[in-house]
Amino acid sequence: MHQWPFSWLTTVDVSRDGWRAEALFWYTTLLCVIAFALVTFALVYSSWKYRARPGVKALYTHGTDRKSFAVTGILAALVFFTIDLNLVRVSQIDVKEYTYNWPTSPDTIRVEVMPQQWAWNIRYAGPDGVFNTPDDVVALNEMRVPVGRPVMVNLKAKDVIHSFYIPNFRLKHDANPGYVTRTWFQALKPGNFEIACSQMCGWAHYKMKGDLIVQPEADFVRWMKEAEGDAVRRFDPADREQLWGWEWVQ
Amino acid sequence: MSTAVAVTRFPVPEESRRTSFVGMVMALASWTMLFGALFFAYAVLRLRAPAWPPDGLQPLPRALPFFNTLVLLASSVVLHFGIRPEAEKNPGALRRALLGTMALGSLFLGLQLAVWVPLWRSGFRIDTGTYGSIFYGLTVFHAAHVLAGLVALAVLLPGAFSGRYASGRQSPVRLSAMFWHFVDAVWVVMFVSVYLL
Amino acid sequence: MGAVSAVRHLHVGPEFHAEQHVHPEPTSFLERYIFSKDHKVIAKQFLWYGLFFLVVGGAMAMMIRWQIAYPGTPFPVLGQLLWPQNGGVMPPQSYASFFTMHGTLMIFFAITPILIGAFGNLLIPLMIGARDMAFPTLNLMSFWTNVLAGLCMIVSFFVPMGAAAGGWQSYPTLSTLVGSPGHGQTLWILGIFLTGSGSIMGAVNYITTVVRLRAPGMGYFQMPLSVWGIWLTAILNALFVPVLAAGVLLLFLDRVFGSHFFLAGASITKGGGDPVLYQHLFWIFGHPEVYILILPAWGIVSDLLSFFSRKPAFGYKATALSMSVITLLSMAVYGHHMFVVGMSPLLSQGFMTLTMLISIPSAVFFLNWLGTMWRGSIRFATPMLFSVGVVFVFGLGGLTGLHLGAISSDIYLHDSYFVIGHFHLTMAASVLLGAFAAIYFWFPKMFGKMMNDRLGKWHFWLTIIPITIVFCGMLVVGYGGMQRRLYNADAYDFLKHLHPINVWITRAALLLGASQFLFVGNFLSSLISGKKATENPWEVGTLEWTIPSPPPHHNYDEIPIVLHGPHEFNNPAVAGKDWLAQDEPIGDEPVALGAVGH
Repeated sequence: MHQWPFSWLTTVDVSRDGWRAEALFWYTTLLCVIAFALVTFALVYSSWKYRARPGVKALYTHGTDRKSFAVTGILAALVFFTIDLNLVRVSQIDVKEYTYNWPTSPDTIRVEVMPQQWAWNIRYAGPDGVFNTPDDVVALNEMRVPVGRPVMVNLKAKDVIHSFYIPNFRLKHDANPGYVTRTWFQALKPGNFEIACSQMCGWAHYKMKGDLIVQPEADFVRWMKEAEGDAVRRFDPADREQLWGWEWVQ
Repeated sequence: MSTAVAVTRFPVPEESRRTSFVGMVMALASWTMLFGALFFAYAVLRLRAPAWPPDGLQPLPRALPFFNTLVLLASSVVLHFGIRPEAEKNPGALRRALLGTMALGSLFLGLQLAVWVPLWRSGFRIDTGTYGSIFYGLTVFHAAHVLAGLVALAVLLPGAFSGRYASGRQSPVRLSAMFWHFVDAVWVVMFVSVYLL
Repeated sequence: MGAVSAVRHLHVGPEFHAEQHVHPEPTSFLERYIFSKDHKVIAKQFLWYGLFFLVVGGAMAMMIRWQIAYPGTPFPVLGQLLWPQNGGVMPPQSYASFFTMHGTLMIFFAITPILIGAFGNLLIPLMIGARDMAFPTLNLMSFWTNVLAGLCMIVSFFVPMGAAAGGWQSYPTLSTLVGSPGHGQTLWILGIFLTGSGSIMGAVNYITTVVRLRAPGMGYFQMPLSVWGIWLTAILNALFVPVLAAGVLLLFLDRVFGSHFFLAGASITKGGGDPVLYQHLFWIFGHPEVYILILPAWGIVSDLLSFFSRKPAFGYKATALSMSVITLLSMAVYGHHMFVVGMSPLLSQGFMTLTMLISIPSAVFFLNWLGTMWRGSIRFATPMLFSVGVVFVFGLGGLTGLHLGAISSDIYLHDSYFVIGHFHLTMAASVLLGAFAAIYFWFPKMFGKMMNDRLGKWHFWLTIIPITIVFCGMLVVGYGGMQRRLYNADAYDFLKHLHPINVWITRAALLLGASQFLFVGNFLSSLISGKKATENPWEVGTLEWTIPSPPPHHNYDEIPIVLHGPHEFNNPAVAGKDWLAQDEPIGDEPVALGAVGH
């Protein structure tokens, strides 16, 4: 696993791809610290060295000579090419390999998540593999996933905009009412983690909390079997509200 | 030391006329962004909808709005010819142009009502999905600007009759005309996008 | 030779201001002080108006910070007054409406009126050598439209269910009737629409004034950079505030007339709109808005750094052009606010690349600021301290923008306190320090009195230190994973360890709040009994310092003829003093005025 500075500040990263955010964050931070140190040094040095003293006049220059232009131009270009273009390059790789690289392997876990004020509705397709049918496994505020398998999430909000935020995976994605958005992650370690809402969704936004339980494969399969058994038994055909799911968006 | 030297100065009205022209151009740029944003909203909603008109709604009528477009365009033409520099020699030209434009503008608003009322009565309202929202939201907001334009022209009338605005190039006349043409231009875009496309 | 050099300096504007007659000063109290058309009086009105809302918004910030650090404990004194039924503890509903209104009031009712309303109005005519704005009546309307807007916001606190509570962006569907019943949100929309209209009126006026009323010889590149900043801001205001107006107009229709522009989800069975559409409209405006707020401060700081370094602004033209390039770029980067919304990957990547381009012009004017101080002869009066402070905090704020501009780090940091820290450093700390610099600097010209320099320096140090701690602390807890807008972060286990940091941020924030009393005291006491200001106490050359403090009603007896740029310090051709007024000929050269009048 990767080791980042100040790791006591953050939650443990248990995801396959969270390091991308961290790596870029620390890379950017390093460059920023260097740039800012230079600026601060120049500020403090000039403030001290060139403070008004009797008998010393300021230099009369508009900074429009060729040398000044060259220095400014080169430094600005340096900032752009070393810092910015690098960030863009790394980010493009991340986007291509992770953010929009939807998992297609057959062992992908598919979950529909419908946040509402102020809870997380979770839905698995059940034995038939089709969403929004009576055999779907439904849970409230508790999402279970196995270690080591990609998890693809379909998000759609019920009432207002929420944001599905799992800090241990360095991931967040908005859930909008009206249409489906997608995101995905993969856990490397088992454990109990938190799901948080990161988009203002009303006065109880701060306690819109869910659990993300990452289990070893065998435990997950056992739980899923049990839940699938319960699902059909619990389904009440008269309650149309129960079928809040939607057609899966790959 | 320097001594104040008399400098040639432009005649005052020419100067302030140019200044108010610049101001009006900026104001209209601002208004263009306002309507542009509304058209952007329309485009987004429309592109996101699987079909247009959505939800199996009937398309909007076209014949009357088309005629209405001609009415509004005619009003602009009348106004334009009434305040041309060539019309300055004819003292009645401005008066006639203002009255003619206002008549056509009022006719436009009347015909808009003739479009809205039957649709509303038939059950097509502002809360009839995005189609209804776009239609009433945009056209009523535009009509409010037509009304504002009519008020601006009406304010000019006393001056036109008393001969204060003998020349149609006077600032208030020119600025109101610019606003009127702008509102017309917006309507043409609205007619094409909301009714035709 | 002398005459030739003077003429060479003349960049004759396209027009000559014969229209600027000297109007007699109005005599009635109402026309002089309340419904005044004098830009200097309107500037003061905007200043008082902005300072009032700065106090209100600042008090709210204190209560928000208190709640984060000490949840469940009553806020001292004010708590018992505001929430007696709750034992003085802020309830979560009030918390939501406080952070919403804090943002709204600070942005639209404090910063905008102070920097754009007050200093825009004061500086544009004075610095370009005009007698007033191009449209004085429009100016008056702009202020009073803003007052109406402010009233809407104030009234909204007292309606049933309270003021708007959906965040300052007021995203639907939370801001539609589904999420926010009651009149608070509707009044918020009205207030924003009105203040937007007022801003547009002001902007049209500012742009026209700069284009048309520059004194002869005052070309665009002879204008002080303050005017450049305010002018570019006005252009952005005129073009992008209407987009916000359109957004809130549609929101208004959704709330009041039941239209479906932004409605979607369970509340609506058929014919739903698109809540994300509002986000597009909001951020098309919202990204230019951050530059709307910062550009005047950049301009003012660029001037002040030169004034107090006694050295011409380094790379003046490059600074002005960089600000213009940023103005243009700001129109095309708004999508970086929406990386986690579910936009198409192609759009996201395009917006990211464009965003990064902003570094180039930013680096240019940053280097120019440093270059201005380099080998200067720096006088550290209070305005200079605040200007250096702006460079410092803006450096921090600008650089942390990089983390948020790149998609993969933004996915983690989005909607976290990192964002709060970043944008407060750029558009709160920098802008606030810039505003203080401007107030300390132009107070003598506005009120004819000097502010106390020693108190000003205390105010500076007691502001810059806590303000840096507060907003850098926010960067830290943001990286720690804390989301914004949490009533009680302890509700989450993964945030509990950040609590001590939050306590320290709050302590620094309370110190920051308390030290502003130094400013209030200095401001008020200087107003009453400050040392009388001379015509040119700072010994600088821009036109406003060539006339009495405060200037007469018509500003200039004779419209000045501009011969130099705004920053002629230590020009070797000038003997006896280290500065040169913009309309002052060098030595005894006669001014060839005939060349001016076409």
